[in-house]
Amino acid sequence: MTYKTDEIWEDKWVNTTCGVCYCGCACRVRVVNGVPVKIEGIKESTMGGTGAGLCGKGVAGLMYYHDPNRIKKPLRRTNPEKGFGVDPKWKEIEWDEALEEISTRMKKIMEDNPNKILFTNQTMRASDGPHNHLYFYAKAFGIPNNGNFIIGGGSLHCGNAAHMLGGLIHGAWSIAPDWRYTKYVLKWGSSKGTGSGHSALINARLRADGIRRGIKEIVFDPMGNFAGGKATQWVAILPGTDTAVGLAIANYILNTRGEIDELYLRAKTNFVYLIREDGTFIRDKETDKPLVFDEKAKTIKVFDDPSIAFEDFALEGDYEHNGEKCRPCFMALKEHLKQFTPEWASKISTVPVATILEIAKGWVDNAQIGSTITIEGQTFPYRPVSSVTFRGSQGHSNGIHQVASIDLISQLVGAEDVPGGTMGWPSRRPKYPGGQYERMPKVGKDGVIVPSVFYSHDPWPVHPPTYPCTNSGCVEFWSHSTLSHIPYVKEKNYIQEKFGVEKVQPEMIFGIAVNFLISQSDWDVALDNFKDCFVVLMDIWVNETDQAIGDIILPDTSYLEKDTWSSEIDSFFFSGSPSYEDWYVHLQKPVAKPVGESRDFMNVYLDVANRVGVLDKYHELLNEYYSITDEKLKLKPGEVLTWKEIGERILTWVYGNDKEKIQEQGFATWHKEIEDVYWRWNMPTRCPVYMEFLIHDRRAAEKIMKDTGFELEMEMDQYGPLPNWFWPTSHKELDNEFDLLAFSYRDILHTNNSTFQNPLIDEVSQMSPYTFTITLNKGLADEKGFKDGDIIWMENKYGTKENGIVKTMEAQHPKVLGVCGQGGLWADGRPIAKGKGSNFCKLLPSYLRHYDPITGNIETSVAVKIYKD
Amino acid sequence: MKKRNELEKIMFHPTGTDLKPYEWMISATPQQEWIDKKGIFLLLAFFFTEIGAGLYFISLFYQYRTGLILGWLISLILGGGVHVLYLGNPFRAWRMLMKPQTSELSRGMWIIGIFAVAGFVQIVTSNFGPVFNVIMGILSLLIISHGFMTMNVIRALAAWSSTMVIPLSIISGVWIGCQMFQFMLAVSGNQMAQSFEIWSQILLIVYFVCVLLYIWGTYHASETAEKSISLMLKGDLAKYFYGGVVLIGFMLPLLITLKMWDGDINAGLIFLRLALIFAGDIAMRYIIMKSAMYQPLI
Amino acid sequence: MARWGMVIDVKRCIACWSCTISCKEEHFLPPNVFWNRVLIGEAGKFPTSRKLIYPVLCNHCADAACVDACPTGATYKREDGIVAVDYDKCVGCRACLISCPYQQRTYYDEEKKNAEYFPGQGKTEYEKIGEKLYPFTCGTVMKCNFCTERIEEGLEKGLTPGTDDEASPACVIACPVGARIFGDLDDSESEISRLIMEKNGKQLHPEFGTEPAVYYID
Repeated sequence: MTYKTDEIWEDKWVNTTCGVCYCGCACRVRVVNGVPVKIEGIKESTMGGTGAGLCGKGVAGLMYYHDPNRIKKPLRRTNPEKGFGVDPKWKEIEWDEALEEISTRMKKIMEDNPNKILFTNQTMRASDGPHNHLYFYAKAFGIPNNGNFIIGGGSLHCGNAAHMLGGLIHGAWSIAPDWRYTKYVLKWGSSKGTGSGHSALINARLRADGIRRGIKEIVFDPMGNFAGGKATQWVAILPGTDTAVGLAIANYILNTRGEIDELYLRAKTNFVYLIREDGTFIRDKETDKPLVFDEKAKTIKVFDDPSIAFEDFALEGDYEHNGEKCRPCFMALKEHLKQFTPEWASKISTVPVATILEIAKGWVDNAQIGSTITIEGQTFPYRPVSSVTFRGSQGHSNGIHQVASIDLISQLVGAEDVPGGTMGWPSRRPKYPGGQYERMPKVGKDGVIVPSVFYSHDPWPVHPPTYPCTNSGCVEFWSHSTLSHIPYVKEKNYIQEKFGVEKVQPEMIFGIAVNFLISQSDWDVALDNFKDCFVVLMDIWVNETDQAIGDIILPDTSYLEKDTWSSEIDSFFFSGSPSYEDWYVHLQKPVAKPVGESRDFMNVYLDVANRVGVLDKYHELLNEYYSITDEKLKLKPGEVLTWKEIGERILTWVYGNDKEKIQEQGFATWHKEIEDVYWRWNMPTRCPVYMEFLIHDRRAAEKIMKDTGFELEMEMDQYGPLPNWFWPTSHKELDNEFDLLAFSYRDILHTNNSTFQNPLIDEVSQMSPYTFTITLNKGLADEKGFKDGDIIWMENKYGTKENGIVKTMEAQHPKVLGVCGQGGLWADGRPIAKGKGSNFCKLLPSYLRHYDPITGNIETSVAVKIYKD
Repeated sequence: MKKRNELEKIMFHPTGTDLKPYEWMISATPQQEWIDKKGIFLLLAFFFTEIGAGLYFISLFYQYRTGLILGWLISLILGGGVHVLYLGNPFRAWRMLMKPQTSELSRGMWIIGIFAVAGFVQIVTSNFGPVFNVIMGILSLLIISHGFMTMNVIRALAAWSSTMVIPLSIISGVWIGCQMFQFMLAVSGNQMAQSFEIWSQILLIVYFVCVLLYIWGTYHASETAEKSISLMLKGDLAKYFYGGVVLIGFMLPLLITLKMWDGDINAGLIFLRLALIFAGDIAMRYIIMKSAMYQPLI
Repeated sequence: MARWGMVIDVKRCIACWSCTISCKEEHFLPPNVFWNRVLIGEAGKFPTSRKLIYPVLCNHCADAACVDACPTGATYKREDGIVAVDYDKCVGCRACLISCPYQQRTYYDEEKKNAEYFPGQGKTEYEKIGEKLYPFTCGTVMKCNFCTERIEEGLEKGLTPGTDDEASPACVIACPVGARIFGDLDDSESEISRLIMEKNGKQLHPEFGTEPAVYYID
């Protein structure tokens, strides 16, 4: 069979960036006679998988363009009633009418208080492009911080704790193993390298090579599916109990084996800082810097006194400063860890004692403490062990302790940002040769890294809780939340009233491609909390949130139609390669003409900003963000430009003379220096593993709570400096009736719920045994009398229930049930997605006690009972 | 097939079997092309071809011309016609003669072709010479076993490649052929119908023994074949087996046979028995075709 | 003459389904037709059970059951080992489909021809152009062709299948973890021959005696 070549007048490939999840892999699209027909990766780029490889959902992205359900014109709700199952009675309106109404409303609200406008976006790019511009776009409206964002996309399941710790330790959004050089990997509820998470395909490619080389990969997970199913050893664990095992391993390393990387701990952590009885740092009166003891000079000095050699920072010993007894906080850790025996950890986590000990032993044996490796002529400490976590293990009400204990294992053996160890995504991005723009992290207060870029909220420096709060997220009080949980919390009104926010009740929501009503927690709570706002959402189709509460829906272009220069420039800190590979930055080039009257949301942003009168301010912020000093390139007051026109200037600034070449080929590549990868020993920072700030936070928070009469349950003991064990809320709610823990996980085929509407993905989802089903351990199912294909209901203690089809599997912990995320959809605007899978999110109760008191992460497992239909 | 529940209907594309799409070739997977939808034509085609040839075969012994003509017509017109209806591109049917060296189907087409010509010659010339009769006898038996032979060579389907498939098909063809023959004798008032009953008695038992041997043999052939038999005896196909093959195809014909045991044959009862064994034989063929399963790939 | 074959590295595969979906786009396959699939199962018992992931496609068997079963010669074995289907000769008897122990063949009929990716909403531009670019014939049987077009066009350009993307099957280049290796089984120096030797490559169901050209390594 051959192609009918005579009918083809165009057959070309266009380089762009994939927009199906947030990884942003390089991709190219075959366009025949103007029709996109096939998607592949780009071989010349390491932004993605092996060669021209691209994952299934990336390849299937084609259907975002072809979907006949795409919105072609702005829609207005004509039925004032909002809610689930209510027909919005959409009416098509003109763009001008829609934008005029939006901007008029905004102007009116802003005269009163701009904090009454909430912004939201998503973490995938079905419709997204320039990820982080939203945050400083909001600034142009006079919204100073992250308290006005409703978290969309991955919702609070995503990573408030993981991001906080990634930022504090690595100056990065997330962490991954150094697949190239590691030998021993512990993955805790994370699927890095097996298809999900940041830089999914970069990690998958590097992992595949590593596994072939013989890496031992141990996965702690309630199910042996994507990560566990591919591991060299899968360890079944109860959700939210990773801390216990992590602490037991740390105890083994430090107290049983006593084999630690002393030099690293002295040089690169704050374990050497002296603390007083109450656990707080002793600080130098003049400089406010923490103090340390110089073993050689036998004297107390400020931590960054250049006269102290790394090996002379005292880790142990009792000292006195100005008459006050003090000791390095490492001693507190050492004593603290003694209580966490493997037997204790086993009772909590159900992981057998022998398994914990065997893994701990393997960890120390493989850490090669003291060894070095020379790469490209440079010698680095070599620690081929890596311990990583992400959405799964950190998504609990004890989230920060989960991630901190998992990190502690790497800290003790010095396996942080060195070859073979636990890596952050690049924390620094030097200039493109000949270009002007770079992002470099700084050394902040107490020697802690200040990330060069971070979304929504810098993890360092920290701020103790204050009040009154000024926005509905109450981020002044929950000062460590990357994005706030309060908008979703059942007791939101109570909290806002206590913290003085009742006067800034949100009146309007402006969002892009989000489905926050059904993708976070209890749907009814979310509906109650958001339905009174005037809701403007941009999307490529009408989803559940749009249908339930949307007032105006604007048609966005899909990523295949976007001309977006900005999608990747700042993404290095979460979607580049964490490994030693060249820098790659990709643009989104339009593959086809916009569907209907759809418009790229960045142009809509600019239009709205112009109508509202904040465009000049936005330009100013852009100039500032990209540090543009060239007057010719600066965006000037009074200019009205499209996003593409703005890009012409900023790309010139970023890439210099190569701008056109890069625009032409769709991506830029340049050499990454090895010290930008393994930067740990080249930068005078210290990991704040002893989270002393939490002691102060606790005092401040408790005072506020007392002053305001705040009586909601919050586990204040979690505000402690060392990782500690706290039962997740879900475990506390287990009893004889609600006897199972339901958890959710990411399927390699799906990005939140947008992918459910893609027919190519839908087809293969049906051939995947666990994607649309509820999974139960086979033994458990037999015991309860369920079999494959049965319809069951899962019901939580608060009466919320969801049904689904049972699929039994051996590789699942017998006390849990698994649901792959965000199915159970019902929007009329997405007929392929409708009814597919089960929705897990709605089962998550949304009382304040279900959130991590420090980071605001939601508890992502839930006690349920199950019964037949 | 089990009724699909509401959630299943929404979430999963129908597979035409009880399997969900994710169970395909992971559990033993039923063959569908040669039984479901238009596949049912193939069952009918095999059935007609074989009973026609069966009638021809028996008629040959008695040089019974009406039987020969009817057998020839049933086999070629009904059997052949339905065969062609099954094909995706009926007008290319002639191409099926192209690969007799490897394809059982192609060989079958040749045999049918030769049978058509030779049978026509025999009917027209009434040549019942021993050589011609032997040739026609062999051709008839080959055609009787054509369908099951085509199935039998498929190694991928353990239930079909079982050793008893060919003996069963030959006995079944001869058994039905002989019943049609006896019925034709009976309605035409031919006294031979009476004396022929002894063959009916024997063949009924032999036929059923063959069915049992098929079940026994297949059950012990392989794990997947065992599943096929379980499906017949205990699963979805049990109703066809007990109701169709056992009751209609054997028990009721046995009752009728016993009723006529004293030699008092009756055209009405013979017709009834013929109708029953038609139905029973179709049920037998249906469940053999329907129960065949592929061995999982992993 | 080469004999094309494939090695699938099960250890690398993460079941992302890229092979399946890329194949569909390469050949404009209609809804619910697959020339490439991923089978997911389990072996063993909790807690030591193992997840099984096996991408499957036509095995292009050396002694193919389908080739033998085909009464018309529409399904035939090419000199380069590819089992091909000539739609112009296929009569639609489905003997090949029935005979394949791996069930890699699909009967293409009106129902499949008329199926829409967005049911009831009409065919998309993608489907419409696909019918022109890569037409199928109703009433015939289709299956994976090892991307014969790519191999042939690639060879004409002097490229090497398995080494050069343009000359290799779509599923091979689509794999983001390099789990598919394509090459010449008759060349003992080729990467796939070496992998089969070194890693003890296994065929699916060798007991059927069909001699698949697709091998799995773990």
